[in-house]
Amino acid sequence: MGWRGVAAIALAGLAISCLGSVLAYFAPALALAYRATGQAATVSLPHATHATSSAATATVTGGQAFTVLLLGSDDDQKFANANGSKTIVTQSMILVRVDPVTRHAVMLSIPRDLWIQLPNGSYGKADQASEFGGPPGAVAAVEQAFDIKIDAWVWVGLTGLIKLIDYMGGVDVVTSQPVMDDYYPADIDSKDPYAYERVAVLPGPQHLDGHDALQYVRSRHGDLQGDFGRSERQQQVLMALKAKAKYIKPEDLPNLASTFNGELQTSMSLTQIRDLLPLAQAFDNPNQIQHVILLPPYTASQTIDGQDALVGNWNLILPLVHQYFGYA
Amino acid sequence: MTRRLSTGKAAILAILLLADALAGFGVYRYLGAHTGARLFQSQKPTDPGQQHHSGPIAQLPGTLYLASEGAIYRLRRGDFSLVLPAGGWTQPAVTPNGQSLVVVKRQFAFSDLYLVSSNGQIQAQLTNDSSRSYEFNDWAFYPRLTPDGGTLFFDWDRPKDLQETYNVTLKVWSMPLGNPNAARRWTTPIAYTGGDVQPLPLSSTELIYTRYLRDQQGNVHSELWITSRPDLTGLLPGHALTAPEDDCSQAALAPDGRRLAMICTNGGQTANLEVATFDGSTLGPPQTLVAGMQAAEPTWAPDGSGLVFLAPGDIAGDFQLFWERVPANLLPEVAAAASTSSTARTRPTPSPPSPPAPIQLTTNLDFDATSPIAWHA
Repeated sequence: MGWRGVAAIALAGLAISCLGSVLAYFAPALALAYRATGQAATVSLPHATHATSSAATATVTGGQAFTVLLLGSDDDQKFANANGSKTIVTQSMILVRVDPVTRHAVMLSIPRDLWIQLPNGSYGKADQASEFGGPPGAVAAVEQAFDIKIDAWVWVGLTGLIKLIDYMGGVDVVTSQPVMDDYYPADIDSKDPYAYERVAVLPGPQHLDGHDALQYVRSRHGDLQGDFGRSERQQQVLMALKAKAKYIKPEDLPNLASTFNGELQTSMSLTQIRDLLPLAQAFDNPNQIQHVILLPPYTASQTIDGQDALVGNWNLILPLVHQYFGYA
Repeated sequence: MTRRLSTGKAAILAILLLADALAGFGVYRYLGAHTGARLFQSQKPTDPGQQHHSGPIAQLPGTLYLASEGAIYRLRRGDFSLVLPAGGWTQPAVTPNGQSLVVVKRQFAFSDLYLVSSNGQIQAQLTNDSSRSYEFNDWAFYPRLTPDGGTLFFDWDRPKDLQETYNVTLKVWSMPLGNPNAARRWTTPIAYTGGDVQPLPLSSTELIYTRYLRDQQGNVHSELWITSRPDLTGLLPGHALTAPEDDCSQAALAPDGRRLAMICTNGGQTANLEVATFDGSTLGPPQTLVAGMQAAEPTWAPDGSGLVFLAPGDIAGDFQLFWERVPANLLPEVAAAASTSSTARTRPTPSPPSPPAPIQLTTNLDFDATSPIAWHA
């Protein structure tokens, strides 16, 4: 073999070695992509006009305005079934409408206690919809209740949110008041998922780690606005997270994959997520993002079947929602 | 038939294999070293490279005490040193003679106030807020001494609301330093607002603090309030210094007693540093010194020439120390201001000279932005 042959083998060896290293580095991200993305299961309501599908998720990143349903859940041992699976409820449901052309976005928080039709045809609180088929069940119920089309969904568990915020080095938030709660659920690191802990998030600008940020967005006992106040706080932290997300690089994906460890699911494919990253970075002005919370008179408190629920004034809600999110 | 490699060829092959392995390892390390998360890692003030500073930070007069990740640090002439090691320590307040600090030690379900020497020796535990009964643990925050050092004002969540246990609010209390049995409550907060916080005693009988209230839509706002009488009934003696829609808090009085700095958010996610003249009862029109940041904990220099404050100063978003000079001609006198009302000041601000841009004094540190800075001459 001449020197040319040796050189060719050397170069091929180098290329294979480098490629192998790249594959090894991104293996956790690829595994997460396989497990957690592209989950386009379909759940239909008895009278639904449509349901989410992989075709709907294709709208995302297609250059048109699209709607994503963000879901957040407790998923500790309180929700474990005998067979090891978990029946989750979604305490946080935020509809996000993104228009890539006008660079405008709208975030609408759906109250967890809003009384709507569930995927099994019965009526109940919005947070129970995911008990019927997981996130696609929640999507189907929200689509029917609000008469809109949802193109994609993203679900994050509580510990996933903590880990994500910690990985990103915390978030900067201006907390508007002292958030004091003597009965905050100590179900993250506690052996007893029914235990309580005392929470005191002090007011003012501050840098919150994942644990403290979760306390801030989850506590509701000390807030007269209850779930509405909590929704506002959730939107604040979401915006703070978005501000940090612009520093995330493709090289972070393997670490993020390890960080989530089953605490993230989405109907979007990895390609769609990759295509969305530049779009997220384009929204760097807070005025580009509008926040909507369904306070009274859009909703009213009522006791239904012994449960504290919120009844929607759909004559007001639907025009508002259609104004921002279009029609089904 | 086998062919033996010559020594030279074997050496070349070994070098190639080694080069391949090193290249693969290098690529893996390169990718790992270029994550965005790498940018988010802060240091301690006493880490190598952070302990000694020159430049503007070394020009700050006197001694500052700051909290970072549960520890208290001293900053003197640009040098950081550890006063109290990490252990839930926060919110230092310095005694008028500079010999001692009152510091909060925060634990899982309660917090206590401690008197410590300026070198970190614990001299006394001033509150005893732990309880075996979970619901009778207490929070104590925001210690602040009167100018004569004889009275300690602070926040406590006593007394508990035993009728509505979800209603947990902080109230402003005072006690002679070292005599918790003589503590007395000063405020009765509005339920479900989180309470009244950040006491700033002007004397043992006059107090500015931040109170929280709700508007007709149920939104919570903050305002600075001044009072000269304890309020045990909710009658709310005194009057507002700022309007609720301005959402001001964290009052800091200049050493001359004639200027008040504060943080105002206008209900948003940015926090402006503002300063206004103060005649002992009312504020003049405020001047915005720093806008568009998340400024926190303004603290006057002992000579009144300017303020330090905390704000996010780098990609990580951790709070850094900033300096803002306050020119003497920046503010009109209260008497010359448009508002002579005995209640909250009015806006908008007239057009004063532009304040100088703030100077960032630290990088890559992580100061506790809910902890006031103590500064002694």
